Amino acid sequence: MKKLFRGFSAILYKEFIVMFRDRTALFFMFFPPLLQIIAFGFALDLDVKHMPTALLNQDRSLDSRRLVDEFVNTDTFRIVRVVDSADELAATIRRGQAYLGIEIPPNFARELRARHTAYVQVLIDGSNSTTGLQALNTAINVTFNESLSRLIEESGRSGVPIEVRPQVLYNPAMRAPNFFVPGVIGTALQLATVFATALSIVREREKGTLEQLLVSPVSRWGLMLGKLVPSLCVTMTMAAVLFVILRWIFFVPIHGSVIALFVSAFLYIFALLSLGLLISTKAQTQMEALQLSMVFLLPGIFFSGFIFPRETMPWIFYAIGACMPATYFITLIRAIVLRGASLAEFWSSLLVLAGMGAGLFSLCAARFSKKIG
Amino acid sequence: MSEAMIEIDGLTKRFGAFTAVDHVTFSVDKGSIFGFLGPNGSGKSTVIRMLCGILEPSDGTARIDGHDVVRDAESIKEIIGYMSQQFSLYDELTVNENLLFAGKLYDLSGRPLNQRRDEMIAITHLEPYLDRRAHLLSGGWRQRLAMACALMHRPTVLFLDEPTAGIDPVARRELWDLLFEFAGRGMTLFVTTHYMDEAERCDHVGYIYMSKLIVCGEPDELKKLPEVNPPGTRRLDVTCDHVTTALQAMHQMDGVRTATVFGQSMHLLVDEKVKREEIEDKLRQVGISHSEIHEIGPSLEDVFVTLSAKHAEGEKQKEAA
Repeated sequence: MKKLFRGFSAILYKEFIVMFRDRTALFFMFFPPLLQIIAFGFALDLDVKHMPTALLNQDRSLDSRRLVDEFVNTDTFRIVRVVDSADELAATIRRGQAYLGIEIPPNFARELRARHTAYVQVLIDGSNSTTGLQALNTAINVTFNESLSRLIEESGRSGVPIEVRPQVLYNPAMRAPNFFVPGVIGTALQLATVFATALSIVREREKGTLEQLLVSPVSRWGLMLGKLVPSLCVTMTMAAVLFVILRWIFFVPIHGSVIALFVSAFLYIFALLSLGLLISTKAQTQMEALQLSMVFLLPGIFFSGFIFPRETMPWIFYAIGACMPATYFITLIRAIVLRGASLAEFWSSLLVLAGMGAGLFSLCAARFSKKIG
Repeated sequence: MSEAMIEIDGLTKRFGAFTAVDHVTFSVDKGSIFGFLGPNGSGKSTVIRMLCGILEPSDGTARIDGHDVVRDAESIKEIIGYMSQQFSLYDELTVNENLLFAGKLYDLSGRPLNQRRDEMIAITHLEPYLDRRAHLLSGGWRQRLAMACALMHRPTVLFLDEPTAGIDPVARRELWDLLFEFAGRGMTLFVTTHYMDEAERCDHVGYIYMSKLIVCGEPDELKKLPEVNPPGTRRLDVTCDHVTTALQAMHQMDGVRTATVFGQSMHLLVDEKVKREEIEDKLRQVGISHSEIHEIGPSLEDVFVTLSAKHAEGEKQKEAA
């Protein structure tokens, strides 16, 4: 055993000193993931609130004002402008000052009283499909509910004939950050870890210090493990910071056990660091190492189910996603954080991550040669 | 009876179509200083890398203290020290940390590690710089640190690849004093260098030229080689003013085979029939009235220059044939 990991403690000693002394490198290890979680966490919020809305109310009756209030009460719309003509309404939307235009015709109240159908026109900016769709749905809901309550008043019933009582599990408010931020942690860790080790051996190769190590009796396993462990410590710390941000900045409640979360993060980070090391043993220059890293990182973002559901992907992308550690970690973290799942329920994902880590690490120790040329 | 520490037999390294080291054979005695010379790119570093077990030979064998460099590379790594051309140190580490790291690599720890570090510091006088980062050291101190690191594990063979390149003369002299001390304690030293004065101080020297070892032996033996001292010739040292003018004159003179400038004087290889008076006459013709001439033996540089010229000639003839 001692022989297998010969030189491990020496490499560990050196790597820890170098890591903490190189402040710039440490900063660039921590900064991108933090930026990523903050930026993505806020920007990926797909619940649009307070959409700027323009209003053309030609009716100015009690009835029309009641309808406008209903719109505003949803919190989805915010009246930013009151206009006097249909042209102005269209122009406001065209200029991007409002996503939505509500036009109430002069005869609105009269038609309503006469028990005719009163028309309200709603103009929606469809250039952003997400906000457009949400505006459309909310607008239909608002007017439909308003119609319904008027019908009930007229019919003398005490309530609607059928009412749905929905119970949304795990993310009752259906907040987008609850779903997205755990995924962001997966991709942020991926970025920090792979780069941390991808450069480690190439850098020594370029500086000539690798040759000095090769003439020493340090073993391949000792060298690899000594390179990996310091990065593992730093990235586990970073994972902890990211979990804190998840809980206390994005207010995502963690339903599952924190231990389960850290076990998953450990296996995930180990797999990624091993991947980085493998890249480092393969690449001859730091540039090459960076390019190779990108080849692995991008599929981890797109095909891991972080943004797009994997189930709807063409089989080839689905298959690529299945090779990415990020896929399994994102599945795990969402299950643990949102649904309070236990590790036992997701043992297969854990097993895959552990297998990937062990496989990749063995591969880089096995294929690293203590020869040059 | 001296015992061989390094035995090299037909060692060859090919990189594709290029042969970097071509059937090199020699041996180095235990406790001796072996000087390995040759122009840049002649294959010196390649030989060292093969001996250190980090480069696989294409052909031939090499053994260090009985261990084969291919089959037993890891055993060799326990007993050798290697100081590469660029003094591979960790710039982010201090002098002290570099030393400790070098010791830990060989499983030194605790008290023995600290003791050994202190010994190395005492030998190399590095104590004022202990807490300085390696990248802030000047060339001479970097070299000392690199050597101290290479010695932490008490190697029995130490390889030094151009240890004095780019180092000032005082540091160079001090390094050699240290090397003699180590050799005196039984360490075998394998040194590459471009400096002839350093080569003169070695017990044995080998000269590699165009991938082939063209000569190997004690410096004094080499100077007596018949190729270097062709029958019917003698070597003269001519000290005079305007050496460059004098050199041109000598090149034109009959019976002068070679003429080379050595600082303030010239070294001539002349036919025996050429008399001193003739040389003085010739010099007077170009306006040099005073000159001192005496007979000398060949220097190591003469040896290498003569032999490599001969070798190049031989190669050319082979190609032509």
